[in-house]
Amino acid sequence: MSENNKKNDSSIDINLSSGKKMSKRRRQMLIKHYMAVFNVCLIAFIFVAGFVYLLFFKRETVSNEENRELTKFPKFTVSSYVKGDYTQGISDWYDDTVHGRSSIKKFISSHILPLKGRKFGEDNIELYGNGTNKENSGDNGEESVDKPAPAVTTAAKITSASTETAAETTTTVTTMPDINNPAADGEIANNIVVANNRGLMLYGGGKESGLEYAASLNAYKAALGDGVNVYSMVCPTAVSYYMPENYRNLSADEKSDIDNINSALSGVVPVDIFDTLLLHKNEAIYSRTDHHWQPLGAYYAAEKFAETANVPFADLSEYETVSLPGYVGTLYGYTKSAALINNPEDFVYYKPRINTVTTRYTTAFTEPREDSLLLDPGPMATSSYYMVFGGDGQITHVNTDCKNGRTLVIFKDSYGNALLPVLTSSFENIYLCDIRYFDLNAVSFVQQVQATDLLFAMNTFSAVGENRKFIEANRTRQVG
Amino acid sequence: MIFSRLFFLYLFLPVCIFAYAGAGKLKNKNTVLIIFSLIFYAWGEPVYVFLMLLSALVNYSAGMLIDRFRGGRGDSIATFAAVAYNLLMLGIFKYSGFVVENINAIFSSSIPVPDLRLPVGISFYTFQTISYIIDCHWEKVETQKSFKNFLLYITLFPQLVAGPIVRYSNIGHELENRKTSVSDISYGLNRMILGLSKKVLLSNQLSIIADSMLENIDNASFVGAWYGAAVYALQIYFDFSGYSDIAIGLGRVFGFHFDENFRHPFICKDITEFWQRWHISLSTFFRDYVLYIPIFGKRRKYGGLFLVWLCTGIWHGASWNFIIWGLYYGLFVFLEMKIGKKRMKKIPLIIRQIYSKIVIVIGFGIFYFEDMGKLGAFFKTIFGFGGNGFISIGDKISVVNNMYLLIAAVICCLPIIEGFKKLSEKSFPVKTVISFSTAIVSAFLLIMSSIMLVDATTNPFLYWRF
Repeated sequence: MSENNKKNDSSIDINLSSGKKMSKRRRQMLIKHYMAVFNVCLIAFIFVAGFVYLLFFKRETVSNEENRELTKFPKFTVSSYVKGDYTQGISDWYDDTVHGRSSIKKFISSHILPLKGRKFGEDNIELYGNGTNKENSGDNGEESVDKPAPAVTTAAKITSASTETAAETTTTVTTMPDINNPAADGEIANNIVVANNRGLMLYGGGKESGLEYAASLNAYKAALGDGVNVYSMVCPTAVSYYMPENYRNLSADEKSDIDNINSALSGVVPVDIFDTLLLHKNEAIYSRTDHHWQPLGAYYAAEKFAETANVPFADLSEYETVSLPGYVGTLYGYTKSAALINNPEDFVYYKPRINTVTTRYTTAFTEPREDSLLLDPGPMATSSYYMVFGGDGQITHVNTDCKNGRTLVIFKDSYGNALLPVLTSSFENIYLCDIRYFDLNAVSFVQQVQATDLLFAMNTFSAVGENRKFIEANRTRQVG
Repeated sequence: MIFSRLFFLYLFLPVCIFAYAGAGKLKNKNTVLIIFSLIFYAWGEPVYVFLMLLSALVNYSAGMLIDRFRGGRGDSIATFAAVAYNLLMLGIFKYSGFVVENINAIFSSSIPVPDLRLPVGISFYTFQTISYIIDCHWEKVETQKSFKNFLLYITLFPQLVAGPIVRYSNIGHELENRKTSVSDISYGLNRMILGLSKKVLLSNQLSIIADSMLENIDNASFVGAWYGAAVYALQIYFDFSGYSDIAIGLGRVFGFHFDENFRHPFICKDITEFWQRWHISLSTFFRDYVLYIPIFGKRRKYGGLFLVWLCTGIWHGASWNFIIWGLYYGLFVFLEMKIGKKRMKKIPLIIRQIYSKIVIVIGFGIFYFEDMGKLGAFFKTIFGFGGNGFISIGDKISVVNNMYLLIAAVICCLPIIEGFKKLSEKSFPVKTVISFSTAIVSAFLLIMSSIMLVDATTNPFLYWRF
């Protein structure tokens, strides 16, 4: 081939003999030469334009869609250089902070990725993942239940995003599942279906692992005794309510797994919200573009819990309703589906009008600092669940005007975050702790804050998946 | 540094080409290329760049010794020592962990497993130096007297980290004598963009399908497993041949003519032909330097054959699945040899096509699964014993969701460009139209690929790990 290539090299310096025929050949050679020049100039122009655009246009710093701060220019250290991290960091920074990144990504989602194929069936199904109905560990024996829980800090990727307001600059620390491997977070699936402009995580199910979850909670109850009411609220996800009928078998049955867990609880009071949410299916109780529920769904769940715990509960009219339009959540980040990015939704949340004092602590319950109950994502281009309720890597304490002497501890995944504001009329003190980011002995903590009530609130993926192991690890942790 | 990144395309490359173009004399151009090549390699391997420099120094010195003691004992000693050094380095960095793990497993010993990171591209540049040393010994090439030129041969960044395995005999002359015409640059840029598009627009997208189907092989249906493995075969092809296209294209921009590494392997009619079309530089390396090693006596023909396929497997990685993969292909090549070319040709074409594609798809399934348990599940599923049904709704949705991508991928496996070339030979106006269209299509593909790279996370070429 190389010989052929060498032979095929064109050059206008060919020594042509005179004559009409040769003149034609020379003209052809010239045209060929000019075509090559045109080709080179065209490509060179793109390279130069790209060079200028990437090097001199203002670089982005935050990705609202992915809810993360973009890669920063790395700091030089000898160690980072030797490991290759420094140079790699420069490339990452250069590629990650392209000017207009958000618009370009939207263009890709809307105009390039749809070229891959067609949506399936009448419900315009798009599948991200293979759609296999994989059982969570415990049932299929793939992963040992005796496996120690992974380090708490590795369960989710912690990112921070700066939010600039007119008055001040604040930094909101949020947690967000790894965009490249959402299932690593434990509360979300790698298998996602987009149907009728709604993203739905395919639930794998897990009967035996559900029993382990129940056994862990029973052990909490046994350790805490009659002085503390222990509740279990396993939150179903949108797939149970919005999956088109023909594709229901892509996902396991959340209802049956929740029933399985509830039937195995001993001394722990189940808070079964499945049917409660079903009644409100036609309202915006789940995000279409995010793997979380909407605050309205959490409100109905909290109402059911308040009823079970026999505490007062405020009507929605007693809250200030805040509506944030243009919300595109995590499921877009994972799927890049045009159906999601082109159909944003309203994110509606409820601000309590009563007085509350909110204190945030580290995951070891140290370094208290006063904070607002809810964050203010208003000025951001794109808001999100995390931007309203904050991140998971902290312990939050709320002291309320409800002087009923009841203290609630919530052990939760990110679904539990939305419960906090709508329970402020129900308990005098509420401690919100994430099972994945907790560095104390959980039983001792509940006793230390003199809790009267303990609620485990998390979605089905956490309850039957790997996250359940954190519950047991937190209970048995020895803290020196 | 990775070709398919904006940092390379829109910073490193333009600066490099600009510096190269402005360097004047060829000597200066070579200096520029060496400097940029070392930056290119050191960007990802700031420490192992010294290993590569050491390799260059050792092999250059060995070449000089071979030349000095030509035909004598010193020639043989230098050859042997240099080849041994190269194999030793490859063995230490690539296979020591694998060997120790297996010794521990077999003898229940607890020898500490060396935790050495594989230097990027070591498999490629080591084979280049071996070919140089042996060719010097066999007097097929003249010894390179200039260390600078030899260093350029080893470090030349277009082909440094993932091939093709460029023989010194191919570009030795061009190290000191080459010219770059506008046509060269035009061809080179178009070829580079073609490779980039294969990687970014096809391979990266196909990888999403292949991973989704094969990662969860325990739950895959019969069709899902075949579909996943077939898509993975396409992914690997576009990934690796895309890299080779970029290498060949960039080489041409700088005036070098590298040999082709792929010739539409999926149009093959049998497995022997497949390997004449797939990773040609590796196949020919083994053919020229390993096949006829006289260690099998009378069984040299078949012994050499299986040695070649064992080496082919091992070269791809320190894992049992690669060894199985190599021997698997060796078995089919052996069977085809036994059947004979004439009898093979008598088999209806359609049957040969189906047979070769089935063998290739299963082969890439073996290639995918480094976990032996998963590989076992894959075999069970593709032979209908997976227990997850014939086809799942997920398979159907995936095919429909990706149907245009899959069609485009299959079409791009065919020799379309060669077809256009033939067409352009018919008349000059047609040739002009095709040339013009090529420029426009190249520009379009470059823009599309660049846009897609904004959305891409780190996406190294798969063959980097070899």
